[in-house]
Amino acid sequence: MVRAVDALAFLGPSLFGRGQDGPELERLMSALDVDVCVAIAARPPDYDLTPANEAVAALASSSEGRIIGLVRVDPNRSDAAVNVQRGLDELALRGLFLHPGEEHFRITDRRVIAAVEPCAQGGRPVVVASAYPWLSEALQVADLARRFPDTTFVMTNGGQFNISGMGQQDVSLALEMYPNLVIQTTGVYRQDFLERVASGLGPDRIMFGGGSPVFDASYEILRARLANLDAGGREAILGGTASRVFGL
Amino acid sequence: MTAGPAEAIGIPPGFGEIIDSHAHVGEIPALGLTDPPEKIVGLLDDAGIGRAVVMTYTELPGYDPNALEYVASAVAKFPDRLIGYARLHPWFEREAADFLHEAIHDYRMKGLKLHPVGTLAHPAEQASLRLIRLAAEYRAPVLFHCGDEPFTTPLTIAIAAARVPEAMLILGHMGGYFHVDEAIEVAERYPNVILETSAMPYPARIRDAVSRIGAGRVMFASDGPGCRPGLELRKVLKAGLTVEQLRLVLRDNIVALMAGVRH
Repeated sequence: MVRAVDALAFLGPSLFGRGQDGPELERLMSALDVDVCVAIAARPPDYDLTPANEAVAALASSSEGRIIGLVRVDPNRSDAAVNVQRGLDELALRGLFLHPGEEHFRITDRRVIAAVEPCAQGGRPVVVASAYPWLSEALQVADLARRFPDTTFVMTNGGQFNISGMGQQDVSLALEMYPNLVIQTTGVYRQDFLERVASGLGPDRIMFGGGSPVFDASYEILRARLANLDAGGREAILGGTASRVFGL
Repeated sequence: MTAGPAEAIGIPPGFGEIIDSHAHVGEIPALGLTDPPEKIVGLLDDAGIGRAVVMTYTELPGYDPNALEYVASAVAKFPDRLIGYARLHPWFEREAADFLHEAIHDYRMKGLKLHPVGTLAHPAEQASLRLIRLAAEYRAPVLFHCGDEPFTTPLTIAIAAARVPEAMLILGHMGGYFHVDEAIEVAERYPNVILETSAMPYPARIRDAVSRIGAGRVMFASDGPGCRPGLELRKVLKAGLTVEQLRLVLRDNIVALMAGVRH
């Protein structure tokens, strides 16, 4: 049986009105036959990410390995790096999540570097909510990957949101230039883009992300399960790549 | 008896034909696209979809001077499976008008495709409005690429809908990733606007659209072959529509539009 890993799920109440609690996430995982889920705090209505990260860590620690968590910080804040370190060391979270669209910063901002340092030193991955115009376009994320060649960076949303696919050349170039970059499948325009990346660069550069509750994970998982790839390629996207990147 | 592909993914038994209202044919090496008609027909077969509206990836006048003939030959090769639209560039007033006439009168194509990202022709500029009015004279629908980019957002295309109320405008992708709310609001405001589901990634928003503007103005499409028709069809099925609503969205709405075209 192939292990399925949903590498992107948001947890807790959201400032933007699309929250999801632990039992809801567990039910979703069961319904989709997902074995492991990577949970991330949603942007909380009170703007305070510290208790939100603690809630993710608590759910992860009680999940018997079914859920792992990432620490989410706002690099605009001076305590971002401290909070990353605490998330990794004290909360046992597996990596860092940055959302330039919701916390509003450019991923190329020098303040991001300080937040990434603890992950770089600890060999932990960094997931970036990617594809947000001006903030986290593929080549902007790639520039961060250039600074930390030994750290794996994961671009959500296939690295681009354009529904003509106009950002996909940049995504392909970014993946070609930086082997420490990986993309997630959430909301990707054109299934043949994923198939081209898989055949050209390898399915180990792609991982499934359901994106719940912002995206419909029951639909998103079909992008992986119905991909026109051999069984090995589908297995990598569905769980193999995420297992490697997150050390599952 | 084994269920057909459509039934296997949840289409009610005996539902009848499904029509994909936006797909592509064409061979554009510069874009890395090699999509002869056999490719989309094969994907339609895989998904249990009967027919598809097809158009090229580039405009006329433009990169491929034989684009209209390419679509016409694709339809001639698969007359029971493919329906043609002409994809035109509004800035070339005389040529675009001639191509539209040739497409609809000579080749019996059923609509006009406008992609303002490619042409940089703003939907509300006079060149675009002239071509939209001409399409309306044929009672041919105008399929707009409608996403998140400048020139293509729902509120931009809404100006054209307001200025040419006799035209039927289809918002392809119904606003993309971040403009879906606006697409539904525009459709509420303008009765000559139809929403089309391709590539937009949120099944629940199809249900929202149907509940707010009615199933009579929402149409299924895939934007295939790059976006797989089978996956796009599953998205519509996840929207939780009634069988009656599905008949409109998956078939009857596009059939009604095509039936109205004056050749």
